Amino acid sequence: MLDGTIIAQTLLSGVLIGFIYALVAVGLTLIYGVMDIVNFAHGEFLMLSMYVVFWLYALAGLDPMVSLPISVAVMFVVGVVTHKLVVRPVLRAPMSAQIFVTFGLMVFMRNGAQFLWSPNYRLIQTPLVAGRLELFGLFVGKPQLVAALGALITTGLVFWFLKRTETGRTLQAVAEDQDAAALMGINPDRTFMLAWGIGAACVGVAGALLANYYYIFPTVGNTFVLMAFVAVALGGFGSVPGALLAGVIIGVVEVLTGLFISPAFKNITAYVLYMVVVLVRPRGLLGEW
Amino acid sequence: MADTTLTEGAAGAPARKPFPLAGVAVPLLALALLAYPFVFRLPFQHNLMILVFLYASLGQAWNILGGYAGQSSLGHAAFFGVGAYASSLLLVKFGIVPWVGMLAGGLVAVALSLLIGYPSFRLKGHYFVIATIVLAEIIYILFTNWPFAGGAEGLFLPLLPEGVVNFEFHSSKIPYYYIIFAILAVVTTVVFFVERSKLGFYFRAIREDPDAARSLGIDITRYKLIAMALSAFFTGVCGTFYAQFVLFIEPNNSLNFMLSVLIMLIPVFGGSGTLWGPILGAFILIPLSEFTRVYLSGAGRAIDLTLYGLLIMLVAIFEPRGLWAVVTRFRSRETLKWRFWKSQV
Amino acid sequence: MSHLRIPAISLLLISLLLGACVSTEAPAATTQAPAATAAATAEQVTVVKIGSPLPLTGSLAATGVASRDAELFAADIINGDYPDLNLPLAAGEGLPNLGGAKLEIVFGDHQMDPEKGASETERLITEEHIVAVVGAYASAVSATSSQVTERYGIPFVNGQSTSTALHTRGFKWYFRTTPHDGMFSEAIFKFLQDMRDTKGADITTVATIFENTQYGSGSSRSQNDLAAQYGFEVVANIPYPSGTADMTAEVQSLKAANPDVVLPSSYVADAILMVRTFEQLDFQPQAIVAQGVGFTEASFLETVGAQGDYILSREVFAADLAEKKPIIKTVSDMFQERYGHKMEGATARSFTAVLVLADAINRAGSTDPEAIRQALLATDIPGDQLIMPWPGVKFDPATGQNIAGSGIVVQAQEGQYHTVWPFDLATRDVVWPFPAWGDR
Repeated sequence: MLDGTIIAQTLLSGVLIGFIYALVAVGLTLIYGVMDIVNFAHGEFLMLSMYVVFWLYALAGLDPMVSLPISVAVMFVVGVVTHKLVVRPVLRAPMSAQIFVTFGLMVFMRNGAQFLWSPNYRLIQTPLVAGRLELFGLFVGKPQLVAALGALITTGLVFWFLKRTETGRTLQAVAEDQDAAALMGINPDRTFMLAWGIGAACVGVAGALLANYYYIFPTVGNTFVLMAFVAVALGGFGSVPGALLAGVIIGVVEVLTGLFISPAFKNITAYVLYMVVVLVRPRGLLGEW
Repeated sequence: MADTTLTEGAAGAPARKPFPLAGVAVPLLALALLAYPFVFRLPFQHNLMILVFLYASLGQAWNILGGYAGQSSLGHAAFFGVGAYASSLLLVKFGIVPWVGMLAGGLVAVALSLLIGYPSFRLKGHYFVIATIVLAEIIYILFTNWPFAGGAEGLFLPLLPEGVVNFEFHSSKIPYYYIIFAILAVVTTVVFFVERSKLGFYFRAIREDPDAARSLGIDITRYKLIAMALSAFFTGVCGTFYAQFVLFIEPNNSLNFMLSVLIMLIPVFGGSGTLWGPILGAFILIPLSEFTRVYLSGAGRAIDLTLYGLLIMLVAIFEPRGLWAVVTRFRSRETLKWRFWKSQV
Repeated sequence: MSHLRIPAISLLLISLLLGACVSTEAPAATTQAPAATAAATAEQVTVVKIGSPLPLTGSLAATGVASRDAELFAADIINGDYPDLNLPLAAGEGLPNLGGAKLEIVFGDHQMDPEKGASETERLITEEHIVAVVGAYASAVSATSSQVTERYGIPFVNGQSTSTALHTRGFKWYFRTTPHDGMFSEAIFKFLQDMRDTKGADITTVATIFENTQYGSGSSRSQNDLAAQYGFEVVANIPYPSGTADMTAEVQSLKAANPDVVLPSSYVADAILMVRTFEQLDFQPQAIVAQGVGFTEASFLETVGAQGDYILSREVFAADLAEKKPIIKTVSDMFQERYGHKMEGATARSFTAVLVLADAINRAGSTDPEAIRQALLATDIPGDQLIMPWPGVKFDPATGQNIAGSGIVVQAQEGQYHTVWPFDLATRDVVWPFPAWGDR
């Protein structure tokens, strides 16, 4: 029978997975906001950071929570390098070419991972954060809880960075008007690099937190990234609070559809929700930049 | 495709031809492609060119909307899939010949495109791209859960006596070769004329500067819808062809997201918004993936796809407008040389 | 007209080039007639070629490569002299009725794409001149590949695909050694019936939870048909999209339906997530009886470890049956030693399909497809010559399905699967009901 506990439990899980979508989406929306480019390889960044964490665990015995900062640093560098090598040449190209280049990167990374590490599933067998809590008769997995908190903190930090720091404001200035920012002496290229670095670093956090409980394989990015795309667009391209809000909404809508209609249709409602929202507000829930 | 460009070439030939081979190369190409199945006789060789023509046609169809009108769609698999399903369901459930089904498939795709286009054309840039992805995914999920259409298990098409009427050929692939060749010729002709018509001018105006286009009095939504309908129609027709060619359809082979990506990839790789770009793209990407699959994939380590991704990136980085731009550059340099030489004489 | 010149020339060049490389890569075959009519007569052949399209790259590459190795291993047993193995054609070299001709397998990669499977099968027939086909693992690909073999009149011995749609198409050239999903589901329900009737398990309700593509939905459909027949009530059917990030809603729906037994049909990624979600949400049915695939793949138990204990699954092959059937252990050890893979469901069935086909070719004494087909129809291999837990191999002439195939049920205990049903084959006693998550 569908009782209150089951519904509450489902809602809770929806919120928790929503925070993960949000964290993946925040990096994406940041890159988009600053330079109008959608990174189709974002899911592969997530995959890469999960493998970084996995190999640190398998080879050096580091727990995901310990290797989190390493994963963040590695992903920051990956983001910067991606910008320099792959994205900068197509900055002025048509949108289809930009989709094209990040798509090529996606195919390359995904299959490169299969080439290097085989298509097998990997799992961190005994992470520090494991088990579950029971709160008011509801179960919460500790890794999921930690991941959600981590997502919330990271999103908050990114938001604070954008609004309250000097460098963050330059990012926003470039996002609003590149030429004007250049006139004010801001180096747009440096800013772009920073946006890619931070965007990828957010996924570095997500990868480490997910590796606590999710298995790792070359196409793991697929699982999270499509919903993250929808979250970015639903929240409004470029809006960090929008991505957070939309991620949580999507997580909740998904599980409720799964419970009340059918799990087969759980993605559809999120998609329909996106269409409805953008028809009313063509720039998403909180799109502003 | 070659025949039509040929007649155009003959009719509209300028008085002073820049290069004497112009009238020779085009019929040569046409002849070469028409003769191909009799020169190279292995089914694999036929299959390869059928796929090249199929994806060239799909790329060309995408090109109308994505290349000329500048609306990058990442949901074309939806049109392909409904085209494939429409004709197959008509055949399997009602015994209607696939040729009628092909027309029906095209029209259903058009109807779907209007349904999708009307709301989503209000969206700009990436909001539009995501909307096309999302709508195509909705179609995918619906077909996966629609028992009448075979659901996730797909539809087997009956093996009928071969012949033109049944649109099934078992003893040879050559009829499929000429059918898809004809489809490519038709869609390329359409693009050829659209490019030179007022319609093409409107499309480009919308792509380059929608606000300016609106201020010129162009009904933007209307022309976007025309572009989408044209594009969807031919994509749906290709879907029917595919269903008749493979004789088995399931959501995973006819409606999946990676197919949408490939349909966009081919014209962008070759050069979107150009007449020859999608064809060039298909002539390079399809054989590349087929040959790497046949000769490199035995190790099971995805070397082929890794190289494929790398190549796509390199082309996008060094020639973001597609490989066709290389050819154009080469051509204009040649023309300059030719003019220079003429002026010396 | 300069805008037409370059495109035309470049396309011309490309197409000529393409044609040229195709023709240099397979120069011999261009002028030859299709294999079906060019089949050599029995006396002259020294090599008999069969084809095998498999998913050698893509998401199922690992399984595809292991299957290839199992087929190579079977060919080696046929071609070499193994007098100690009680398997068809093991003793003596090659195919004796064809003058000791060797069996050669030519592989093709289809990347799980039905179109590529068909074209690859056709390429193998026309360019490699194979006389029969084994493979193709995925049901959707076997569907299109067998259309090609039907067209060319070449026997197709399908060792692994289990979709029920495959053998009901009225094909003349299609044979399947493995039991199909209907038969496997039947094994599950016979097991449940035995548990209820002889072991006193109190089972009245079941629920299916399945990944929402071809395999999962077909499996759930046949389970629904059978449940009524065996007197169980289906209280929920829960489809979910494969590769989902979270399974709370699915498990909560199960909890709400509260079935006695849960019947999952899942690929390995979802199986791992499902078991973890069961534990986390403390979902506690009497038993979980899976429809193989994800649950029996080696990486499942490796990944979930002790969490997977006491899960039941129908299985096609179990190494522990060696206690009753020593040949299983001999063959498994040889395979592991030479190719580094464990013998498991997918590999054992690939191996068996090649032996069954070779046995028929040998009895036909010819590479003529019609003769091979007739020999396949007359196939009657007893169970003791198989590494499978089947009573034998015998094809239904109307459908080409092996009617002697059957499934077994295994249970994970201490991180390993052990056979628990049929009770006369069992190596361990079944643990029932499922011990509480907290008590282990």
